[in-house]
Amino acid sequence: MLGGRASVRSRYQGRPVTVAQTTPGLINRGDLLAALDRAAAGKVTIISAPAGSGKTSLLRAWADRQGEQHRLAVVQVQRDQQDAQQFCLALLGAVRRATGAFSGAGPQPATPEFNAQAMADKVLAELAEARGDITLVIDDLHELTSPEALGQLTRLLTNLPPHAHAVLTSRRDVPRLRLHRLRLAGELTEIRAADLRFSERETRELLEASGIALSAAGAALLHQRTEGWAAGLRLAAISLASHPDPERFVAEFSGSDRTVAEYLVDEMLDRQPAEIQDLLLRTCLLDRVNGELADLLTGRPGSERILLELEDANAFVLSLDPERTWFRYHHLFADLLRLELRRRMPEETPALHRRAAGWFTRHGQVVDAIRHTEAAGDWPAAARLLADHTFSLTLDGQAQTMQALVRAFPPGVDHPELALVRTAGDLVQGRLDEAAAHLAVAEAHVEAAPPDRQRRLRVAVAALKLSLARRRGHLAGVLEQVRFLDSPVTGPSDEDIALGSDLRAVALMNLGAAEAWSLGLRDAERHLQEGADLAREIGRPYLEVGCLAQLGFASKIDPFAITQRRCREAIALAERYGWGTEPVIAPALVTLAGTMVWTGEFDEAERWLQRTAQALQTDTGPDIRLLMHHTTGILRACRGRHDEALEEFSAADSLRSQLEGSHAIANQVTGWLLASQARAGLPGEALAALAALDDERAGSGEIRNARAVICLEERDPAGALGAVREVLDGTAPVIGYVTLVEAHLLAGLAHRELGDQHAANQAAERALGLAEQDRLVLPFAITGSRELLKTLPRHETAHAALLADLLDVLHGSSPPVKDRSSSPPAEELSPGELRVLRFLPTNLSRPEIAGELSVSVNTVNTHVRSIYAKLQVRDRSSAVQRARELRLLSAGLTR
Amino acid sequence: MRVHLPAVNHGLMDPAPAQYTIRIRGHLGATLLSAFPALASREHGACTVLTGLLDRSALYGVLAEIEALGLDLLEVHQVRPDRESPESGDRRSP
Repeated sequence: MLGGRASVRSRYQGRPVTVAQTTPGLINRGDLLAALDRAAAGKVTIISAPAGSGKTSLLRAWADRQGEQHRLAVVQVQRDQQDAQQFCLALLGAVRRATGAFSGAGPQPATPEFNAQAMADKVLAELAEARGDITLVIDDLHELTSPEALGQLTRLLTNLPPHAHAVLTSRRDVPRLRLHRLRLAGELTEIRAADLRFSERETRELLEASGIALSAAGAALLHQRTEGWAAGLRLAAISLASHPDPERFVAEFSGSDRTVAEYLVDEMLDRQPAEIQDLLLRTCLLDRVNGELADLLTGRPGSERILLELEDANAFVLSLDPERTWFRYHHLFADLLRLELRRRMPEETPALHRRAAGWFTRHGQVVDAIRHTEAAGDWPAAARLLADHTFSLTLDGQAQTMQALVRAFPPGVDHPELALVRTAGDLVQGRLDEAAAHLAVAEAHVEAAPPDRQRRLRVAVAALKLSLARRRGHLAGVLEQVRFLDSPVTGPSDEDIALGSDLRAVALMNLGAAEAWSLGLRDAERHLQEGADLAREIGRPYLEVGCLAQLGFASKIDPFAITQRRCREAIALAERYGWGTEPVIAPALVTLAGTMVWTGEFDEAERWLQRTAQALQTDTGPDIRLLMHHTTGILRACRGRHDEALEEFSAADSLRSQLEGSHAIANQVTGWLLASQARAGLPGEALAALAALDDERAGSGEIRNARAVICLEERDPAGALGAVREVLDGTAPVIGYVTLVEAHLLAGLAHRELGDQHAANQAAERALGLAEQDRLVLPFAITGSRELLKTLPRHETAHAALLADLLDVLHGSSPPVKDRSSSPPAEELSPGELRVLRFLPTNLSRPEIAGELSVSVNTVNTHVRSIYAKLQVRDRSSAVQRARELRLLSAGLTR
Repeated sequence: MRVHLPAVNHGLMDPAPAQYTIRIRGHLGATLLSAFPALASREHGACTVLTGLLDRSALYGVLAEIEALGLDLLEVHQVRPDRESPESGDRRSP
């Protein structure tokens, strides 16, 4: 009875095809379609009705009627969708396909760290750019269980651009989808079960369309018995089509008290040839099936033909792709078949799951493989699969699905290898203590594991340890693992090698990052570069971006130009994959912001810090947040907003105390926290905190500087000088020379207070000398040294250009814009010319410059002429302006 | 082997299972009844009545199954024959 018919493809699946013939059993429900048309012209439509009410059929029929100019972005929610990311990526992909906005880069790859809000914004942006009407179609919304995804979907639906619409179907109302605003605004239309019921007339039309001759009374009886329930009518039509006595069928059906669905599915199955019955029963436990898989489960060839025929006969089989290779059964139908399968052949069910699991494993469909392994009751095998794929699933953005698969283990059959999976989940969420507890369980198990598992488990444990140690800034814990992970990747299969490479790239990223945090910067750069190269090789863009972002952070001691270039390169790559505000790129964002704070580009730094904060919304790890609060604190302090700075430094300091071991910038964090307390008018608190530090920390340059700040606030300049003495003479350990510059400035301020202008000028000049190289602004801003610099006579300084820039910044104006692209590039100046150039902003005459440089006036004149020519200017003031634009006035950037 | 992590307590948990009767329209055949192995069933007029001792998550599991199978749910009723109010937690022997 399910004879072959020409295929009818639906525009619903994305490829518009004219439907030339009527699908059997599908009638044109004109009134209902018109109702949906009216609804869909509004903002949001929800079709909410129980299983089998004909939601999907209505949606497909409606979609096929839409003209070419009305674009549809169709998303079918997968069964029990736990991962917001999988749903959002499907949404974005559907919108991009509908708008034709697919770039050459291909579909958006997943990331283990996911920012649902940013993704929803991206979908909104794509919708806003679409020209003409576009409708989002989301089928089976009730399968979406991720609260995060539902939250973002709410936002999306309430913020749709004017030409965008949405049509959703769900078996039940979804209260988490908060659409009351739309409802109040009259922008929400609901189509419910009562609207979907077939009328008696439609029942007759359906029977006619299926070629069934039934009396008017018989049709009325059938309508009454099914109450117009779509699935019931369609099931009945399939059985009736081949029934010798349709009137008797309806009479018997009507006389039975059994539920409609069960009665009709039994009838329908019984009327199928044995081959089709067998195929339906044996494949119903799959969420999706193709011909090859069905052949495997039935042990017979020819399944694809049957599946195609079933779909053509409208018999509760739907194709999932335009090529019609994958199919799924109507959910209600599949659920009934599954019950029937367990009843008829209970002993075969685990074996079928096992065979399906094998097929999915061989085809790299890990989640399906694990689901069926679990369904077969093979819990140890499922645990092994989960443990083996922990890294790839995390990288593929399926962390929530993975955790749901772990939760599916019944109590009492928990497996120690699952501890690995739980650790990975905790790490993604930044729950470090839980991660450590789970990791300890996993590690204890390694020795007891069978020998063939030990190596892989050890690598996995080591990689997770690295990850945890890195997040805690605890390098000692990391280095123990390095030797082990340095061994080459080998394995018996390609899959082993691929998994091994994932693992190795993750390990290199974490190792490099940990080294960067503990100032082992050269090793860090080497490992991160290797990690980035490997990631590119194995096609893991997430890891490549991660390594490059950390590389930006690791190059923070390089000249700022190099640091900034690396950060910008990493950010550009991240943006290419749509990860410009994801946690993975945060190290580069915050490092770039940091370099800008250091060089006084405060407004620009503010913007990058805002973006860092956005990127870190979903990340609760203390290390990167510490860096963000620290950098923000410095920026606030530089702008003299000491209360806000204090808040940021306090947040940074409390995160610091959560990190194990001593942290590379710990003293800087604490030092500036104390200084901010003093400057914010809380010197008492600062002194108390100072007294609580151990001798080693109290002796560091950063803490000594803080003590000097407290003394200055308490009008004790002599005490301040005492505090910085050992910083200035080089006996106190310092993190970087910024501490030294700061110490000179604090000394200068103290001398000024004591009325010793000469010593103050000397101190300021030394600070300028040290800062010249990198054109550092930070220490001058954070110490509030404007007055100190203003009273420094121009003719007494060899750093007049930097001084002028500094006074600009400290006065609140922006530093000179470095816009190299707007004017032609200047020919490179010689070192001699550069030396002369730096005196041009001063009011020294040419002979005076010659005196300063101990050269002849003629030499100075030659250099000046040459400078004018190279900078393409005619006079001294435009030379200075041009030189500032090109940032030639500070030595640091021209090396 | 499971590591015990602090559980979220919403203060809404009712740990004690209770006797429920669930009334569904129509007679369930062997196939549909196999979906509710933990419940006893009897036909009552044109309805089927399922009964059993269920805790909260088991109850919601049954309700989800009823929804998935497209069944017509008429009534859910909790029976507390030999107990005081659930808050007292104090059971009397019959």
